[in-house]
Amino acid sequence: MGDTAALVAALNATWFGSGLPPDAQTRLADMGRLETYPTGTELLTEGEVCEEVGVVIAGRMALRTLVPERGMVTILTIEPGDIWGWSAIVPPYRGTSTVVTIEPVTSVVFEGAALRIALREDPHLAQVLYPRILVAVSRRLAASRLQLLDLFARDATGGS
Amino acid sequence: MMTTEITRPERTTTAGRWYLDRAGLDDLVAALAADGRTVIGPTVADGAIVYDEIRASADMPHGVGDVQVAGRYRLTKRDDARVFGYVVGPTSWKRWVFPPTIELNTGRRAGHRVEFAPIRPRPERLAFIGVRACEIAAFGVQDRVLDAGPFRDADYAARRASAFIVAVQCTTAETTCFCTSMGTGPEVESGFDLALTELDEGFLLDVGSPAGQQLVEGPLAKAIRPATPVEVYTAAADVAATRARIGDPLPTAGLHDRLLAQLDNPRWAQIAERCITCGNCTLACPTCFCTSVVQKTDMEGIGATNERSWDSCFSPGFARVAGGSFRSRPRDRYRQWLTHKFGTWWDQFGTAGCVGCGRCITWCPVGIDVREELMAIAPPIALSPEPTRVEPVAASFDDFVVAQVVATRLETADTVTLTLSGADPAFSKGSLGQFAMVSIPGFPPLPISISRFTVDGIELTIRGAGPATRAMCALKVGDQLGLRGPLGNNWPIDRAVGRDLVIVTGGIGLAPLRPVIHALAADRRRFGDVRLYYGARTPADILYREEMERWASRGGIEVHLTVDRAGPEWEGRVGVVTQLFDQAQWEGANAIAFVCGPERMMQATANTLAGRGVTTSRIYVTLERHMECGIGLCGHCQMGRFFVCRDGPVFSLEQLGDTFGREGI
Ligand code: FES
Repeated sequence: MGDTAALVAALNATWFGSGLPPDAQTRLADMGRLETYPTGTELLTEGEVCEEVGVVIAGRMALRTLVPERGMVTILTIEPGDIWGWSAIVPPYRGTSTVVTIEPVTSVVFEGAALRIALREDPHLAQVLYPRILVAVSRRLAASRLQLLDLFARDATGGS
Repeated sequence: MMTTEITRPERTTTAGRWYLDRAGLDDLVAALAADGRTVIGPTVADGAIVYDEIRASADMPHGVGDVQVAGRYRLTKRDDARVFGYVVGPTSWKRWVFPPTIELNTGRRAGHRVEFAPIRPRPERLAFIGVRACEIAAFGVQDRVLDAGPFRDADYAARRASAFIVAVQCTTAETTCFCTSMGTGPEVESGFDLALTELDEGFLLDVGSPAGQQLVEGPLAKAIRPATPVEVYTAAADVAATRARIGDPLPTAGLHDRLLAQLDNPRWAQIAERCITCGNCTLACPTCFCTSVVQKTDMEGIGATNERSWDSCFSPGFARVAGGSFRSRPRDRYRQWLTHKFGTWWDQFGTAGCVGCGRCITWCPVGIDVREELMAIAPPIALSPEPTRVEPVAASFDDFVVAQVVATRLETADTVTLTLSGADPAFSKGSLGQFAMVSIPGFPPLPISISRFTVDGIELTIRGAGPATRAMCALKVGDQLGLRGPLGNNWPIDRAVGRDLVIVTGGIGLAPLRPVIHALAADRRRFGDVRLYYGARTPADILYREEMERWASRGGIEVHLTVDRAGPEWEGRVGVVTQLFDQAQWEGANAIAFVCGPERMMQATANTLAGRGVTTSRIYVTLERHMECGIGLCGHCQMGRFFVCRDGPVFSLEQLGDTFGREGI
């Protein structure tokens, strides 16, 4: 376990973690640890069991997926405030993409199993945390839809 | 627009132009009086030139001049006998067409009943001698305010219609004159019955209406003779010299927007420390029209006459309601007056409320000079190219001017920037955001945004998405193409002065915004934080890469890039452009946003911007529509109440309302 105050401060500096009630903050800080990863660290592999959830504090990571005949494709990059590994709290607890740091990254990291237990046993924590997770996930979903439209493939000239 | 070409042919011909010697002025006054008119002209009273009733030319000033600076006025003696050797004094013709006080009606209470009786105007027939160009313009402004709307001021209309106007060309100017800035003078060009230009011993006389012609052919016939070429040339030269004496016009391009963007400028409070809210400026102003109605009750208190008198937005009680005044502080009142004259007057009446006569400057007891205040509060933007709109060339459907490709640059695999030169100079003077209709014979002409203005041409960035654009992309140095334009409106960069600017673009949507970024970088300190968010399909589709690095490193512009998809070698961002700023730290309340990209992307962007507090009137988008004519004639680009080619392509979300992003419009 790291220094609780540093962890609370780090979480507070992100949109995801700021403004949580103090007891939730302490609870999370007790469970989490602050990690730094060098560029190129693979934190999660697509399809594998997802054991950790994190909130990016600094740096950037790529979410990648393997597309037949195109190889590895980056589908999204995530930055401070974004969460990674949320599959660790949603069955079947398997990664939906591969997560690789493309810059040195600092992240608050939680053990997926511990967080799941906490969310189950502490309704107060669940009440404040789930809406934020939902916002984070739905924001990603909305963006993915736009990406899916591939708008720039046929823009600007109407094909004339 | 007034033209500066005082020496153009019809101005210097002698045909139909007359000479009236100074003594002939009496014939003119007599002829007007004989026509049953009360003749009003300049007189000297209380040390000033005052318009008042005259019976003979002896009532007018002879050999009088004036000196005017901010807050000061003095008559001088001239060493000649000129009758119009000064500029405008404290009175204006407003006093005669819109008198300081008129009786409106009477009202009586008789038991339970009330009765009202209007007092109908009984207009005297009037004649005005000595009306200057700025004052004719002031009639035009008053006509729009009082006699053009759904409700009209019958009293004004009657007085105005009855007045015979003898204009005088200005052959002198004072430091307070700025008609050249407002486009109202010094040349009198229309709106008169007769016009005089004073020469050493008499006047060049021009006819401006059938009523004037009647006078020339009838009662004045004996007093006049055809003018000589020397007289005609001298008159023209004297007026041209007046224009030169007034000096450079103020940069008024975009003044409306510049000013209205400055409602929070600290200067308003500073002016209020000097302004004593006396209202002199509004009384002296030839176009100020605010009035109040007062009741004059009779002795028994059952009847009253309602009188309407000039009032002023500077009066403390002018905007009072039961709960207090909307403009209780002097700074509010000064701001109201200045922003109305030079800003919102345009929105209400399609013209400025100022004609540049300078009265408010001279007669301000503390010498506040509107020109100085305007330029301090809403300074011009030193943009290259000039933001004034140029007339397009080859403006008809079928006409193209030819330009030559002098350089090509491959931006991405399918996008090319063509540098064109040899086109009409109008192109390089186009406004930021305008487009050209581009044609290669054999293909349909297409609207292409101008992506850069150069000294002698333009650049077009074209994505080869179909046969015509692919043919354009394939052009080589030395090849020619046809152009019409520059067409459409422009990004309202004036509104961005003093604000944070957020530019959000996707794909080739960066092209029409590139000139905006160049202009911003050239005058960076005039703007708050400038942020560019750009999304491309893949890293290989990013436009103007090196330039963007320069904008970031030297232009003081925050540049954020993202792509929709990328391979593992790409270390930049992947994701949609809205994710670059939906959680960013900045505040949207002071920001203005320019957005260009596919419509679906602009919608998502607009929603995200609105969520960040940017108001819809400050979110601008460019629309893309099928265009053929580019000038509002063919109907192809119609969208709701707009032709995108002519009224756009830049629109605020507020303008578009719920048509933006709606399916099937
Ligand atoms: S393109 Fe013809 S009306 Fe707009």
